[in-house]
Amino acid sequence: MTITKTVDDKSLTLALEGRLDTATAPELDAELQSSLDGVETLILDLEKLQYMSSAGLRILLLTQKRMMKQGQMKVLHVGETIMEIFEVTGFSEILTIE
Amino acid sequence: MPRKHIKSIREMTKWERSRNSMAGRSFRVTMMGQAILGIVALIIGMGLYSYALMGQCIGEAFTLARSSAAIISDTMEPEKLAGAVMTLYHDMSPEELETVGTDAYRARFSYLENREDYQFLMAILQEFYRSSDVDDIYVAMYDRDTSAVVYIADPAEEEETGCSMGDWDRVSVKEVEKFLTWDGEGRVYNVSNTPQYGWLCTSGVPLTDAAGETVCFVMADIAMRDVVHGLASFLLQYVIALVIVIFLLTYILIARMKKTLVQPINDIAEAAQNYARDKKAGLSATDHFSALNIHSGDEIENLSLIMADMERDLTDFESNLTRVTAEKERIGTELALATRIQAHMLPNIFPAFPERTEFDIYASMTPAKEVGGDFYDFFLIDDDRLALVMADVSGKGVPAALFMMASKILVKNYAMSGLSPSKVLNAVNAQICANNREEMFVTVWLGILDIASGKLTAANAGHEYPVLKQPDGSFELVKDRHGFVIGGLAEARYSEYELQMAPGAKLFLYTDGVAEATDESEELFGTQRMLEALRSAEDGTPKEILQTVDAAVEAFVGEALQFDDLTMLCIHYIGKNATEGGTSVKEMTVEATVENIEAVTEFVNAELEALNCPLKAQMQIDVAIDELFGNIAHYAYHPETGPATVRVEVEQEPLAVIITFIDNGMPYDPLATEEPDVTLSAEERKIGGLGVFLVKKTMDDVSYEYKNGQNILRIRKNM
Repeated sequence: MTITKTVDDKSLTLALEGRLDTATAPELDAELQSSLDGVETLILDLEKLQYMSSAGLRILLLTQKRMMKQGQMKVLHVGETIMEIFEVTGFSEILTIE
Repeated sequence: MPRKHIKSIREMTKWERSRNSMAGRSFRVTMMGQAILGIVALIIGMGLYSYALMGQCIGEAFTLARSSAAIISDTMEPEKLAGAVMTLYHDMSPEELETVGTDAYRARFSYLENREDYQFLMAILQEFYRSSDVDDIYVAMYDRDTSAVVYIADPAEEEETGCSMGDWDRVSVKEVEKFLTWDGEGRVYNVSNTPQYGWLCTSGVPLTDAAGETVCFVMADIAMRDVVHGLASFLLQYVIALVIVIFLLTYILIARMKKTLVQPINDIAEAAQNYARDKKAGLSATDHFSALNIHSGDEIENLSLIMADMERDLTDFESNLTRVTAEKERIGTELALATRIQAHMLPNIFPAFPERTEFDIYASMTPAKEVGGDFYDFFLIDDDRLALVMADVSGKGVPAALFMMASKILVKNYAMSGLSPSKVLNAVNAQICANNREEMFVTVWLGILDIASGKLTAANAGHEYPVLKQPDGSFELVKDRHGFVIGGLAEARYSEYELQMAPGAKLFLYTDGVAEATDESEELFGTQRMLEALRSAEDGTPKEILQTVDAAVEAFVGEALQFDDLTMLCIHYIGKNATEGGTSVKEMTVEATVENIEAVTEFVNAELEALNCPLKAQMQIDVAIDELFGNIAHYAYHPETGPATVRVEVEQEPLAVIITFIDNGMPYDPLATEEPDVTLSAEERKIGGLGVFLVKKTMDDVSYEYKNGQNILRIRKNM
C-alpha cells in the first residue's frame, strides 16, 4: 500500500493506494499515530484504494473517534466496492463521506 | 520407597572417621587381654607368695620351738616346775579356776616365780623372745580333764597379750591333738584366726621327763599380719609393674601396627580419594595407586598391587571407551546427515505441481530406522506424462539406503529418457544385476500416466498390488502381473499393462510396511484393514487419505515397535476436462502467518482469474481471505504458529467457488461470535467482530465444523 501525504496548515490529506488489509493496516496506523498531532481536518482519499478489510475498518473507527475530539475527518472518493463494505458495516453512518 | 541416606566418607568429620580406627580397637583388645592375663598371674602369684610366706612363718615358729625345747631339756628339768604348777592347778576347785586372771588367782602361784628353775626358764625364753621375730614363745601344759592350756612361763607376761603362770585358756581337743600325738617327724603347727591375736601360726614341741612322759610344751606364736602386710606391698608393686608393662607392650604393639597395617591402609584410602577426585575432574591418566610404596609383604601389599593393576586397566578401558564413543558420535552424525539427504531425495514439497490442475498427488515416508530402503518418486517426463514410482529395497539401514539411492536414480533416468515402464524395468534390472555382488534386490512398481487421457501404463517388479478407486466405485486391489524383483535375475523380463483412470479416480501405492505393520500380539495390519481405512476416506484429498491410513496403522500397532518403513503415495486424477464440468480442487498448505496472507491471496486469485471472475467478487473473496486467514494466523496456534491449508474448489453449473480454510489449532468457531450492532454511533461502536461479519455479508454461504482436531471453515461465492 502506498500512502501519499499532503499537509496544508492544520489540514492533513492522506491518499491511499493499493490494499488496506491485515498486512498493510499497521503502516497506516503508524502514519496516523505520528502525524495526527495538531491536525484539525483529516482527509482520507480512497480513490486508488482497491479494497479494505476489517483491519482497515478498525483504524478508520479509531481515527474517527480521535478526530471527533480534535476536529473533523472526511473520506473522499469512495469506490463502489468499498462503499458497499461501509454500508454493510454501518460505517457509512459514522464517517463523513464526500 | 526412598533409600536411606548413607553418609559418604567424605562427609564425615575426622572424629567420625577415626572412631573405629584399627589402632584404637587393637589398643582396647590388647589392654583387655593383658589385663586379664595380669589378673590371673596376680591371683596365682598371690597364692604362691602367701604359701611361701606362711611356710616361712611355720618354719620359723617350729625352729624356735624346737631350739628352745632342746636348750631347756639340756639345761634343766622342766618336769619339776611343770609338776608344781600343774599340782597347784589341780588343787583348785572349779570355782577358783574361774577366777583366772585376778590378782588373788595369780597370788597362789607367786611363790613358784621365785624358784631358780623358773627364773632360768624365763631367761632362756626371754633370750629367744628378744632375739627373734616371734610374737610369743612360752611353756604351757595341756590339761586333759579341764581341756585347758595352762601357762607355765611366758616372757611376754608384762605385755597385753602375755599370760602369767597358772593362767589358762580353754581349747578344744582338736586344736591340740596334733601337738599331743606328734611323733617327732616333720613340723607340727596350727594356723588359726583368733579374735585376740588375729591370724596366728603356732608351733609347739613337747618336753619330756626321763621316762619319756610329756610334761609340758614349748610353744612359739608368729602372727601372720606380716604375711598380710607383705602380701599388700607385693600386690601394690605387682599391679604398678603390671600396668607399666601392659602400657609399654601395648604402645609398642600399636606403634608397630600403625606402621605396618594402619598407615598402608590409610595410604591406599588416600590414593582412592585422590583417584576419585581426579576422575571427577576429568583426568584420564592417573598414577595414585601405582605410586604407592607399600612393601609389607602381606595382604596389604597385595591389595595395593591389585589396586595399581585396576588403575592401569581402568585407564586403558577409559581411553578405549573415549575412542569408541567418539566413533559412535561420528557415525551418529553421519547417519543423521544420510537420513536428511535421503529425505531430500524424495519429492516432499506439496502441492508438488501447483500449476497442474489435472491431478493432485501426495506421498509420505516414515522410516522405521534412521535410514530406510523404501522410496517413492513422481516426476513429469514431459507435459503430458507423469511417472509414479513405489519401491522397497531388501534389508534395512545404510546398505538399503545406498541401494535405494542407486535404484531411484536409475529408474528416474531411464523413465526420463522416454522408455515405457517395462523397458525401464528391464534396463534398470540389467544395470543393477551387472554390479550386484551383495545380492540385494528391490521391488518396484512403476506407472506412467498419460495426463490428458488418464491412461496409466504400469509394470510391477515384485511389488505390492496397487489400489485403485474409480469415480463410481470403491478402493480395490489391482491384481496385476508381478515380474521378478529387480536385482534378482539378470535375465528377468518385465511386462506392462494398462489401466484407464476416469476423471475423479484415485490410485494408492504403498510398501509392505503398511500391510505388514504388526501390533503387540504380532498380528498383521493386513490388506483388508488397509482397504477399510482407504474406503473410510475415499472422498478426501490424497493427503487426507494418507493421513487416514497412517492414523489407522498407528492406532493398530499401538505401543509395538514399527519394524518397517511406512511409505505411501496417492494420486487423484482430475483430468483435463474437469474445469469444464464437475469439480476442480486445488489446495496449498503454508505456515499460518500474516506474511503468508499475500501468498494465499495470489494462489486463490490465480484460480479466480482462470474463471474470469468479476472484479467485485474477487475483491470480496480477497477481503474474506484476509479476514479468515488473518484470524488463523493471529489466534489458531497463539503464541506458536502452525500449518494452515487453503483449498479452492470450483463448481460448474452453476459456477461457484468454494474456499475451505483448515487449521489444527485450538477449536474456535468464528461464526458463533455476536454480530456487531451496525446502527450505533462512532463513540458507541466496538472494535472487533467486523471481519467475520463482513465475510458473512459478502459470501453466499459460510459454514464451520470442527472435525478430527481440525477447524474447517468453508465459504461459497456464486459467480
